[in-house]
Amino acid sequence: MSGVLDPSRSPGPETGAPQPGVYVADHYSSARLLTLLRYRELLRQLVIREIKLRYKRSALGFAWTVLNPLFAMAIFTMVFSRIFGARPYYSLYVITALLGWNVFSLGSSRGLESVVVNGNIIRKVFVPKAIFPVAAVAAQVVNFIFSLIPLFLYMLAIGAGFSLSLLLLPIPLFSLACFSLGIALLFGTLNVFFRDVKFFYEAAVLAWFYATPIFYPPEIIPDRFKFLLYVNPMYPLLESLRAPIYHGTSPPAEILLSGLALSLATLVIGWVVFHRFEGRFIYYV
Amino acid sequence: MASHATGRSGPSPVVEIDALSVRLLLHREQTRSIREYMIRLLKGKRGERDEFWPLHGVSFAVTPGEILGIIGPNGAGKSTLLRVIAGIIPPSLGRVIVRGGVAPLIDLGAGFDVELTGRENIYLYGSLLGFSQKDLEGRFDRIVEFAEMGEFIDVPLKNYSVGMSARLGFAIATDMAPDLLLMDEIFAVGDANFQTKCRARMEAFTSKGVTMLLVSHSLDLIRSTCPRTLFLNHGQIVAIGPTAEVVAEYQRFSASGSS
Repeated sequence: MSGVLDPSRSPGPETGAPQPGVYVADHYSSARLLTLLRYRELLRQLVIREIKLRYKRSALGFAWTVLNPLFAMAIFTMVFSRIFGARPYYSLYVITALLGWNVFSLGSSRGLESVVVNGNIIRKVFVPKAIFPVAAVAAQVVNFIFSLIPLFLYMLAIGAGFSLSLLLLPIPLFSLACFSLGIALLFGTLNVFFRDVKFFYEAAVLAWFYATPIFYPPEIIPDRFKFLLYVNPMYPLLESLRAPIYHGTSPPAEILLSGLALSLATLVIGWVVFHRFEGRFIYYV
Repeated sequence: MASHATGRSGPSPVVEIDALSVRLLLHREQTRSIREYMIRLLKGKRGERDEFWPLHGVSFAVTPGEILGIIGPNGAGKSTLLRVIAGIIPPSLGRVIVRGGVAPLIDLGAGFDVELTGRENIYLYGSLLGFSQKDLEGRFDRIVEFAEMGEFIDVPLKNYSVGMSARLGFAIATDMAPDLLLMDEIFAVGDANFQTKCRARMEAFTSKGVTMLLVSHSLDLIRSTCPRTLFLNHGQIVAIGPTAEVVAEYQRFSASGSS
């Protein structure tokens, strides 16, 4: 084997740096976003698969998308309404944030493992690998949009008002998607190299859930822990969902915009890190 | 057929490979958990560089319509070469240019998503190859018929035999003639009847001018399909040229006890 190892040849930078090798093909572009756009048909297929597979061989199928948060809401309402019940429409308060939280927690954790899960595909054909986390998050956004229908029905039933500021919903939803994708790309990259990441992340998300005012009002957080709210990006994101649905008001512009800016920044970081190491994924999946 | 070694500018090659090398860092590419990583770190093995070059300084070109055979012992880098051409493995050094649409038939035995049915896999693999949903609907029946799926089309792939998955993969990838077809041992699976159909389709492709790269251990297959052959060993080209000569050289090499 000695003939194979050639020390005279410069091996190039150590880790995952841009490969000095050049690959040129019609299906490939060094502009990652363009390559991704070229595969939008695949993206559509992957989103459908993501939604379908989850409820495969379940009698109620897609209905679970709606039933799941409904059950969770029912449980939280039953358990905590004694404590927080003074809040009007407490159930609506919970479910609004819960739906938003699901976009993040399911999107990011499914997205995080998606590169590894789809190793079977990655080993056989060229595919822009970011398409898997993108599909995982997009599927959750689709789920969210579908669950707005029963949510609005529920609001009608309990007599909650509808506000014009509901038209602003796409902004926090978009922010939420970008933030989830950024996290998925960032930790998804790590997870390719160290499979432990997925388990750490799952534990972290659970803690994160309880640290975020989802089923309790932010006021109950003791003053010395209040800072947690301001370092928690999910808090402004969920509050901007809550404002139009629950409070019937437009979210304050600074919360809306800072949420958006933070999400875009997370996405950019995740995107850059992911593509820096993408070339080595093939040896680990 | 023999169009090699002409200095004049003909049509641009479909595949153009110049000084291609692929480098693996053995210790790193085999660490799978943080625990393992820490152990290596503690043992001070991190700085160690055990490099391995699955491909080293490979250069060749494939002209449009050519059928190139690729042979060599196990671990010679044949599959790695196809994967680099397909864009699955990035080149570490050198340059690879591919012109036109590529249909890779690599390791098809396991299918794409075993949880999905044959039908869903047709759409998944089809969209991986760049076909639109509408396009695939039009091809669907023909693909199912060619792959001899019958009622299995709505069964999850995990219940398929290896041969069945490979048949489906071949049927999807070759339903429309690609510019470049990459085949890795695809004739090892499937019964005689299916192999006949595959060959018929390949012959149709030949007349359409499809370029094909065929990796196989079957020298008979290489001799009967490929005018030109590349012999790879330890990631380097040993010989490239008319099949008869290259195969003879490979046989001499094998007989001499190899390595």
